[in-house]
Amino acid sequence: MNTIAAEWTKLWSVRSTWWTMLAGLLVTAATAGQLAIYAANANTNDDPADDAGVVTVGSIVIGSVELTQYAVLALGLLLITSEFTSGTIRTTLQCTPSRGRVLLAKAAVTGAVTFALGLLLGAVGAAVARPVLGRWGTAPAAETLSDVAAVAVYLALVGVLALGLAAALRSAVLTLTVLVATLMIVPLSLQEPDIAVLNRIADAFPGVAGAHFLAGDSDPYPAAVGLLLLAGWAAAALALGRVALRRRDA
Amino acid sequence: MITLRGLTKRFGRTTAVDDLTVDIAPGRVTGFLGPNGAGKSTTMRMVLGLDRPTAGRALIDGRAYRELRRPLREVGALLDARAIHPARSGRAHLLAMARSNGLPTHRVDEVLGTVGLDARAAAKPGRTLSLGMAQRLGIAGALLGDPPVLMFDEPVNGLDPDGVRWVRQLMRSLADEGRTVFVSSHLMSEMQLTADRLVVIGRGRLLADAPIGEVIAGSAVAVRVRSPHPAGLAALAERLTATGATVTPAGPDELTVTGATVDRIGDLAYELGVRLHELSPHGASLEQAFMELTAGSVEYAGTPTGGTDR
Repeated sequence: MNTIAAEWTKLWSVRSTWWTMLAGLLVTAATAGQLAIYAANANTNDDPADDAGVVTVGSIVIGSVELTQYAVLALGLLLITSEFTSGTIRTTLQCTPSRGRVLLAKAAVTGAVTFALGLLLGAVGAAVARPVLGRWGTAPAAETLSDVAAVAVYLALVGVLALGLAAALRSAVLTLTVLVATLMIVPLSLQEPDIAVLNRIADAFPGVAGAHFLAGDSDPYPAAVGLLLLAGWAAAALALGRVALRRRDA
Repeated sequence: MITLRGLTKRFGRTTAVDDLTVDIAPGRVTGFLGPNGAGKSTTMRMVLGLDRPTAGRALIDGRAYRELRRPLREVGALLDARAIHPARSGRAHLLAMARSNGLPTHRVDEVLGTVGLDARAAAKPGRTLSLGMAQRLGIAGALLGDPPVLMFDEPVNGLDPDGVRWVRQLMRSLADEGRTVFVSSHLMSEMQLTADRLVVIGRGRLLADAPIGEVIAGSAVAVRVRSPHPAGLAALAERLTATGATVTPAGPDELTVTGATVDRIGDLAYELGVRLHELSPHGASLEQAFMELTAGSVEYAGTPTGGTDR
């Protein structure tokens, strides 16, 4: 608990935390607004093939995650890369020599904060999307709430994934590059030729697994499996980060 | 008590710390002296469990740092004063440290007071701190847990003369309270004013581990003695050795004597009736003696401490 308290103090004592959250809010509002406009337009333009009909607010919120997750990733990532660049990692390890404990405390703080932020982002996304959608949108309370909660869970896991990876790679730029590749570029490239085998491989990637979880899919695997896959990636990244922290001199 | 036993650190093919065996005892200020790059910081990092030794052990009161549950209560250390988050205030930096070890918040204000950082300075973000202020903040962090063992890596760097004097007094009072105080420096003159005992290393190897007086007496004043009479010179060497000086033949007609003053050697030569052609102190400055000691050319051993594994 002491280690968590220390990490909590550190997180809120730098302004970049607030800026990152503000950036997340703005990007969510903008993306949700834009997606809502697209959905409404698709129903009202001249091409009836576009018609999406009435969409749920939750689906707009889920759609906006693809972009907003990068602001949330930054939160988890900065929690440790800033320690490497400033040299405070040595102070941290002086205070808490157990590398595993430090990383777990950071994961707990990252997870809790990104979950709460996810709820807030979901609420903001829904609040922006609802009026823009107008008669083309619905917001059944239970479904919207569960969609927002799912978004929060997704963001928390992705935040922890970013943290673990950053602990192993140490550099913010390198970590972000690897994350963009893992979450987006590689699975997209795999899906591009639409070959069954490659699609299956892409399905195992964290971003795709997370998307299946968020969409509540039953194919290629149940949504719960998508959640487990994503959680597995986050756990693996943490384990990798712990090994790196233990092996390397600080 | 800090105990180093055969402590060794290699980075690839370079050996930064080479088989260091030393005890750093409580109740006095032990200076850790060596030129830049001699392995002082690496040694301190190994004591703190930050660097993993290639071989050997570094123990604090018999325990490895990584085993300590609340290490700030056991060991306080200032390694790199510049290692503060550029946007975090000094106070928040200390607060996070205190929370990590379950220390009460009022300790933060106490140590800030001890090092003379007022509320305004403590509220400034890390990047705006001068090196002197950062050093004071680092020392505050070391004192936070009121630990019995303290380590400071070059603590007077960047301090103004007042600050330097303050650090000296602080080290002194911490040692007088019975704590183990281990302070590194590359400045012999600084150590002369602060330390009771010296551990000198060069290229990672132990060169001296002795009370400061002995290091100064033993290595600082080397006297060159030249005489046209080899037999007389040998007799003189014998007498000098018998009185505790260290005599090294420097040629057929020349001796290098340490541990005896020019006056004393002159008197002895007169008593023995040895004709001298030269009797001159050289390497008389501490600075120069230290350079010789650390150049790897001279190996000086003071009172041997340990060397055996307990």
